[in-house]
Amino acid sequence: MTTIVDNETAKSNVSHMAARQGCQVDVEEREDGFYVRLTKGEQPAEETAPQMAAAPASGPLILTVPSDIMGRGDEELGGILVRAFFHTLGEVEPLPQTIIFFNSGVKLVVEGSPVVEDLQALKAQGIEILACGTCLGHYELKERVAVGEVSNMYTIAETMLGAGKVVSL
Amino acid sequence: MTDKPTYGVVLLYSTSAAIRAEKLTQEAGLKVKLIPVPRQLSSDCGISLRFEWDQADVVRSVLEEKGMEIQGIHRIE
Repeated sequence: MTTIVDNETAKSNVSHMAARQGCQVDVEEREDGFYVRLTKGEQPAEETAPQMAAAPASGPLILTVPSDIMGRGDEELGGILVRAFFHTLGEVEPLPQTIIFFNSGVKLVVEGSPVVEDLQALKAQGIEILACGTCLGHYELKERVAVGEVSNMYTIAETMLGAGKVVSL
Repeated sequence: MTDKPTYGVVLLYSTSAAIRAEKLTQEAGLKVKLIPVPRQLSSDCGISLRFEWDQADVVRSVLEEKGMEIQGIHRIE
């Protein structure tokens, strides 16, 4: 199956979703868009009957960041705390597999954010960084993403629900 | 990341003092960062100001010039 999309974010979202379903993904960039060719993998994705499964007994640790400050109260203090938190994340264990930024949390992944360097270091250690695309759009920051991937609610919801544990900042 | 500088931290008496110290040192063109007080140290305030150790004298004089009370300055490994 081939899907044609007109921008980088959509290309990456479709590719990720397909890869998660066990498809082989080939992307070709043409003048009129990205042609994303999906080939069904050898192992068919498991029958996906609607599940109201018990929470996965084991699964990745996911950190969510719903705000650009840590805690409620004084905003300047909250900003300091969030910076201290991401600095410390480089020195403690366990580390999350994925960090998801949404709502004003996305302000932390863009140029000029005080934690960009810390996030880049975490990413270099293999931690996946996802930023909510709707939120970046809302704050008009989509063009200024400095670290991580622009993601969508499907991936965010799947990642959170498939987690062994979700920690919210 | 191979040639990480040696860092030091300034301990201050309150978080607001740490925030002020950050502003003053940044205005002086110094490369600083607010970080949690390293575990091996303790202070009245949980936040400290990290700086590049070879600038220790400059950091101290910038802060003292503005009348800031410094609880301690430590080199961190």
